[in-house]
Amino acid sequence: MILLTDIGKSHGTRAVLTGITARFPRQSLTSIIGPNGAGKSTLLMLIARLAEPGSGRITLGGADIARISRAEYARRVATLRQFPAIELRLTVEELVAFGRFPHNRGRPTAEDRRATDEAIAFLSLDTIRKARLDELSGGQRQMAFLAMTIAQQTDCLLLDEPLNNLDMRHALRIMQALRSLCDDLGRTVVAVIHDINFAANHSDQIIALKDGRLHSSGTVDQVVTEAGLRDLYGLDFHILPRPHGRLCDYFTPKGEAG
Amino acid sequence: MTARATFALTAFGLALLALAFVLQGAAADPVWLIPRRLMKLAAMIVGGCAVALSSISFQTVAGNRILTPAVMGYEAVYLLLQSVLVLTLGASGLTLWGGSGGFLLSILFMLGYSLTLDRWLFRDGRADLWMLMLVGLVLTMVIGTVTQFLQLRISPGEFAIFQSAAQISFERVEPWRLLVSTILFCVICLAGWRGLPALDVLALGRDQAMSLGIDHRRAVRRLLMLIAVLVAVSTSLIGPTAFMGIFVANLAYALAPGAGHRLTLPMGCAIAVGMFLLAQLMVEHLFDYRTTVGILVNLACGVWFLALMLRQRSMI
Repeated sequence: MILLTDIGKSHGTRAVLTGITARFPRQSLTSIIGPNGAGKSTLLMLIARLAEPGSGRITLGGADIARISRAEYARRVATLRQFPAIELRLTVEELVAFGRFPHNRGRPTAEDRRATDEAIAFLSLDTIRKARLDELSGGQRQMAFLAMTIAQQTDCLLLDEPLNNLDMRHALRIMQALRSLCDDLGRTVVAVIHDINFAANHSDQIIALKDGRLHSSGTVDQVVTEAGLRDLYGLDFHILPRPHGRLCDYFTPKGEAG
Repeated sequence: MTARATFALTAFGLALLALAFVLQGAAADPVWLIPRRLMKLAAMIVGGCAVALSSISFQTVAGNRILTPAVMGYEAVYLLLQSVLVLTLGASGLTLWGGSGGFLLSILFMLGYSLTLDRWLFRDGRADLWMLMLVGLVLTMVIGTVTQFLQLRISPGEFAIFQSAAQISFERVEPWRLLVSTILFCVICLAGWRGLPALDVLALGRDQAMSLGIDHRRAVRRLLMLIAVLVAVSTSLIGPTAFMGIFVANLAYALAPGAGHRLTLPMGCAIAVGMFLLAQLMVEHLFDYRTTVGILVNLACGVWFLALMLRQRSMI
């Protein structure tokens, strides 16, 4: 379990995060939502140790993460930020194999090859495993990077906007994969998600940030309410119950359409 | 073509070039010519490999394919030192203690420069690489201007001597320099060998490398240090190579049978050495010493660099 206690972070004099206290339970999918500039990615970067908090404490399984060596941390927590823009002449297979680096420091064993194959199969990327990254579509590339993170075989995965720039089919596939990582493989997943409907229908828990502060957190039922979302985004929401979840409609503000 | 075949073919081509260089017209005076040529060949190998290794690993760290360590100001420092030596000690400045004095001084100066830059920029522990490169670029220009100012005060005869030190050349190679360079080069290669897989991970960018358990700041500092030694070795052994690193690195990416540094680094070394051999052969047999290796190499690389800029304008 990851526990955040009174986390603060500022860039210069501007406070980006203030007094964030939250917990990410094991084997659950937590979505971080909120408007642009709310500090979602910054929060994720702090948990990933890509930046250091100005104040507060983050613990993983009871231990302060600042005291865990970086090499050890990479065996327990995997992070995927938006994929780098530089051209990589790697094949999908080669990229996914990088996920094993924390375990083998660049000297792959049979075990590593098996983990790589499993990650590729998990996201059904077998047909493109020999393809080069620069020949793939954005969605396929995102899947390949996610496969690398899965191959890392960590208890916890942190994903920064994994659905960004994806079409509906790829977005759904990634979301279902995250769900299955929690349910079938017992991993803890934390993802920054912009699409409220994906967050509302696939998460166990939602954490909402606004202006660098915790706006609300809890189960989907607790956070995804018309009043809560209106206050969070400054938009009118219509929440429609569906047999397997709910639909948050903000496309047609109240009064203009039926 | 498999990786093995590619490298076998490359090695074969290189061996042919090297044989041609050593044996061409050697019958006239084999006892004098062949040992001298072998020494030049060794300088080409050490210098060329140093240029290739430093450029490729620098581009990986910087995440950019049109940079060379030259923009960090190493070569500017080297040229400044040479002109100061010529100005203060006259022509004998470059042959200080039989030439080895100036050589050692150059290496020490470049390392000192690298350390100072690094210490100063990382003093609060959070300088980013772009800042480092920007400062390096500005310093290159400042140091270059100072060098030019000093050159105005050098007599024409001594200036000619300085100029010869400011160009790629294998003519000034001496056994002692070659030995020190080779030893330094081997030490760096051994030191870098263990970090080779990490270099591949660094190519994924800072965030991804850190997520995969690499202490990014430490790894970058260590690499910049190794790169500094390599640049110092190649510059003081064969002279400033300027654009050549870009040419060598990009050609290596294109020709290597894969993306890993295990493949691109040796390919880069082969390209650099092959290029030196070709240029030297052309200077000796085609142009009859009317031009220099430096001019040929810079011409070829300058053209390539322009072409690269035009082709990748959107990516700069």
